[in-house]
Amino acid sequence: MTDSARENISSPLGGEGREGGGSGDSQSIAPQTPPPTPSPKRRGATGLDYATPLESKVPLPRWAAPLIVVAIALLLQFTVRPLTGEYVERIVLDSGIAVILAVSLNIVNGYTGQFSIGHAAFFAIGGYTAAAITYYTSLLLWNDVSTAHFFTKTVIWLFATVIGGIVAAGAGWLVGLPSLRLKGDYLAIVTLGFGEIVRVLLQQTNGQLYSRDEVHAATLGQLIPPPIGGALGFINIPKVTLLFWAVLFAGLTLIVAWRLKRSTFGRSMIAIRENEIAAESMGVNVTRLKVWAFVIGAFFAGVAGSLAAHEMGQILTPGDAGFSKSFDVVIMVVLGGLGSISGATLAAILITVAGEWLRGPTHIWYVFVPLLILRLIFWPDKRAKAAIVWGIAIAAVEGIRSLALYEQIDLGEYRMIIFALVLILTMILRPGGLFGTTEVTDVLSMRRRLQEAQW
Amino acid sequence: MVMAPLLDVQNIGISFGGLKAVDGLSLSLGQGQLHGLIGPNGAGKTTCFNLLTGVYCADTGSITLGGQDLLGLKPFQITAAGMARTFQNIRLFPHLSVLDNVKVACHLRTKQTLAGAILRSRFVKDEEREIEQRCLNMLRRFDLVDRAHVAAGSLPYGDQRRLEIARALATQPKVLLLDEPAAGMNPREKIALKDLIRGVLSDFGVAVLLIEHDMGVVMGLCEHITVLDHGTVIATGSPGEIQSNEKVIEAYLGTAAEG
Repeated sequence: MTDSARENISSPLGGEGREGGGSGDSQSIAPQTPPPTPSPKRRGATGLDYATPLESKVPLPRWAAPLIVVAIALLLQFTVRPLTGEYVERIVLDSGIAVILAVSLNIVNGYTGQFSIGHAAFFAIGGYTAAAITYYTSLLLWNDVSTAHFFTKTVIWLFATVIGGIVAAGAGWLVGLPSLRLKGDYLAIVTLGFGEIVRVLLQQTNGQLYSRDEVHAATLGQLIPPPIGGALGFINIPKVTLLFWAVLFAGLTLIVAWRLKRSTFGRSMIAIRENEIAAESMGVNVTRLKVWAFVIGAFFAGVAGSLAAHEMGQILTPGDAGFSKSFDVVIMVVLGGLGSISGATLAAILITVAGEWLRGPTHIWYVFVPLLILRLIFWPDKRAKAAIVWGIAIAAVEGIRSLALYEQIDLGEYRMIIFALVLILTMILRPGGLFGTTEVTDVLSMRRRLQEAQW
Repeated sequence: MVMAPLLDVQNIGISFGGLKAVDGLSLSLGQGQLHGLIGPNGAGKTTCFNLLTGVYCADTGSITLGGQDLLGLKPFQITAAGMARTFQNIRLFPHLSVLDNVKVACHLRTKQTLAGAILRSRFVKDEEREIEQRCLNMLRRFDLVDRAHVAAGSLPYGDQRRLEIARALATQPKVLLLDEPAAGMNPREKIALKDLIRGVLSDFGVAVLLIEHDMGVVMGLCEHITVLDHGTVIATGSPGEIQSNEKVIEAYLGTAAEG
């Protein structure tokens, strides 16, 4: 009964599939089912934020999404490198990490509306913690980081990743506390300051120990503060991050963010963003949810840090906690649209890929042609105009890039300038970000509704 | 009176610096009662609401709701204790859908845990479904169900006012505080609003405390009226008594000029 009533209201198409009465839950429809409300016409349904998107017709069991994520992660693990090579695999892996960072920051910035620009600090805390665990465990057990079986190393790494996430979450809790009192710009400055504090603290750590004997011989002064490389950075971290793990954790982050948004907690977080006084008056424990948002966001940032630290050819430096790294993530969230998981995901991938593309050999068409197709699917109304605008934009950008290549200018050096320009353009053209506050699913269902309204 | 009043406010007061915004206000509200709170601009009516709902903490006095002491509790705790309000200047969640606005108000009565929500347990699913059903019923009651998936900020003004009342009721309050619900409404909407408030009173079994400038609405609805001026109560009584009270007339119209 509840199902059919909901569908009648929530979806104009709801009536059709159910007329037959043969569907599974029709037996449960009690005789006193309220008469279906006539499907209302919806016009101008813009600026919507569906914290509760329409339920899908066939409710998937709750383990379906994680299973799909695992399947995709396995698929990518075994296809990307053979088909496209190591370089592209690396970009996909970095995109995965960027997605984790952007989506987790989105829980803080986008859901509760607390403007945090210190996300990289959590990333660094998680990364350093996990790296310290894996590095020194390997050192003590095998006197070397690479001799152990890959499986053993991965198990240790997984454990370290979780610990890294938890430590980062603890730091998030610490930063969340002042957010009880601060809002807007003031909170932003506190988070910025926090990032810098973490960066400076990491610089003040002791130099790394390179063998088992050194560890055994270490004095207390060498162990406190922890020997994680100081200003020189933490090197020689075991290389265990596979594309599989990056995609898996990115998928898990997405699932958590998505389920959170559709639960009463996510709704209440968004309510805080919308109007804090009203949210509190409606019985939302504003302070607690704000801190929770920080904790959850920081946890996943810490996991991302661990993934990045154990990547091939990576070293950790105190600069990883710095402002410029945080700013990268903020750009992703703002570009994607505050509160939109889809937007943050898309923007994270875009910016990672764009950063690589500016360096040279990749072709812009790989990025923009799929985007253009997406654009046409979601906003078919302005098809012709959109195609022309995008065509010109692609040609112009590609022109600049070719020129830069010819003149041997490394555009990668100018990426902050270019991203800032992109951000300014976003502010002018789509002030709400690429997705505004909506999700992919909303756009699809909105389109369905608009079509329904037209007929 | 045989029964103890549902909401009992004794002698509350607050001052901001040297200004006594509310001073020694007492009122009591029984089950199913409709109590009006009127007064000229700046008399302290909304401050009084803010004191009751915990936005401000009263310097003096006591507030009890159904025997529970509310003084010093945070706004969300007071809402949980059974006091819900609307706002003079509408405070909806503009980018959330109408349905989600009401759903947020159900938050404090939910039993799901954060871990359960992330694991999407059966309990969470069932509870979410139940919330949705309850909220849709609420919207149906307030004639907003066909707008359920529209952004609340895009509703017409009168609908936004009604949505605020629906949202407040979704917290399952014992006492509902309405802050100028008729502001900006045309005469026809005001009549509809009066019917709505009467309906709310009988259907939801709440007591209503109403701030209103529109005398037609107040006098037509309330059995009891408290008049505030400069933060103090200058009169209480039935609409008839209030209308003939000289102090009230003086507060609203001023004293007659001499000569």
